[in-house]
Amino acid sequence: MMRRAAWLLLPALVLAFLLLGSGLDFNYVIPKRLVRLGAIVVAGVCIALSSVIFQTLAGNRVLTPAIMGYEGIYLLFQAVLVLWLGTGSVARLGAQGNALLSMALMLGYSWLLQRWLLREGRGDVYRLLLLGLVLTMVLGTFTQFIQLKTSPGEFSILQSLGYTSFNRAQPAQVLYSGLLVAAVAVLVARGTRVLDVLALGRDQAIALGLDHGRCLRLQMALIAVLVAVSTSLVGPTAFMGVFVANIAYALARSARHQVTLPLACAVAIGMFLLAQLLVEHLFNYRTSVSILVNLVCGAYFLALMVRTRGTP
Amino acid sequence: MITLEHLHKAYGDKTVLEDVSLAFPAGQVTSLIGPNGAGKSTLLMCMARLLPASRGRILLDGQDIGRIAIADYARRVATLRQVLDFNLRLTVEDLVAFGRFPYSRGLLTADDHQVIDESLDFLGLQALRRAYLDELSGGQRQMAFLAMTIAQRTDLLLLDEPLNNLDMKHAVQIMQAIRRLCDEQGRTVILVVHDINFAANYSDHVVAMKQGAVHSHGPVAEVVTEANLRALFGLAFEILPSAQGFVCNYFNPSLSRELV
Repeated sequence: MMRRAAWLLLPALVLAFLLLGSGLDFNYVIPKRLVRLGAIVVAGVCIALSSVIFQTLAGNRVLTPAIMGYEGIYLLFQAVLVLWLGTGSVARLGAQGNALLSMALMLGYSWLLQRWLLREGRGDVYRLLLLGLVLTMVLGTFTQFIQLKTSPGEFSILQSLGYTSFNRAQPAQVLYSGLLVAAVAVLVARGTRVLDVLALGRDQAIALGLDHGRCLRLQMALIAVLVAVSTSLVGPTAFMGVFVANIAYALARSARHQVTLPLACAVAIGMFLLAQLLVEHLFNYRTSVSILVNLVCGAYFLALMVRTRGTP
Repeated sequence: MITLEHLHKAYGDKTVLEDVSLAFPAGQVTSLIGPNGAGKSTLLMCMARLLPASRGRILLDGQDIGRIAIADYARRVATLRQVLDFNLRLTVEDLVAFGRFPYSRGLLTADDHQVIDESLDFLGLQALRRAYLDELSGGQRQMAFLAMTIAQRTDLLLLDEPLNNLDMKHAVQIMQAIRRLCDEQGRTVILVVHDINFAANYSDHVVAMKQGAVHSHGPVAEVVTEANLRALFGLAFEILPSAQGFVCNYFNPSLSRELV
């Protein structure tokens, strides 16, 4: 019932987002909105898939890949760029160059992280988490330190990069990201049954005949791609993944990834659309998507917790 | 049949298993007993390939287990570890279906459904098949996990403390099921048990471990003796025979005062 409502709500939100107050202007307004819609869909899928898979691997429902230092690396790189090349850095590199470099950096970071931790094939997720958490803090401090050296103009650019926004995305970047994410999504869809087994924990997964180390490495690589794409496209999303995943679990009433993954995608896209609609039409860009997403998700998540506690 | 040849396991310079060589009899229930830290679970984990041994070999029907693909191994050896916190929203049926993963990689065939049914029947879980695991008692959940392990249809089952945290009734049910697996289906079961009375009354063969080495092993009657258990646990034992088997009293054996 709730699940069907969630699925029906999504097309309604898409239509509202595209048409509301557009005056049916197919030459300028709607194409612009289609680009933003593309960014929302791509980022939503990235966040939903990466968070649910990550929580499955970690066997923990309050984590997202965002705390693994990926977003920290992105923000630090942006700060370094602005410090070295000044506010003209965006023009010098081009939007594509910046996005590609950021992605390459995040993938490299993920590769190093795994290589260091998973040598000898020990699939120890908790050590990975500890390291990720500490690195996030260290990277954040470095970024702050660099920000001290920037001018007020540069600082405001950096600050805006720290928030989720769909207005930065260029059409070409949305297209490339969309293709990459579609390829990853196909791989994920093929492996939902393996994910179900991985959710039982390392020992049970091995007892059921999975090469646990190899599966873990593959899934971590997919997560890295997803996080890199979404961060370079729309900026950091911090804890949104926690909300999205948990709302999806509550709606799904099943731990099967075949159910939870698509549902999480729908929830993420719906949240983004709702937040963007409110930013554009109600608040007139006086607030940011990040703040609204956290507000909406947080309130809904709290309501859900209270309600599920109430029913025995 | 599974045999161990000079098995060593060490974490850093702490030796957990030292030169363990054993042959587990096929088609029998073997209990691993011994004090905490004796290496029973480590031994079981090595056989389950959850832990790599530091030295030595483990042979399954004469074949080094390291050379068997892990996916094939899961069709020959099923392992059940202790179920600690489990918060996945799955039904009993969903869980038992995972036991067929080594065969069908998640796409269940008619054959798989039949095996799942039989496993549920075997443990009397049909009434609970649509119940969610997080709504079951600890004992029922343990039964569901055992049903998954049974559904793997392996010749060898490795169970790590299957009676942990269970009440007496569920413990007896689990041990009776293990006995039937062996007697009716000819499967080999190796389990770690802490309750000496369950080991003594339900197994054919006992391996006693102490400080990482085999202390004694053999048929129950040979290993479970007052003198042997006293040496193994450092505790006075009194073995009381009864019509249905025997009871090892270590709570307040009448001899204890003289011994200590």
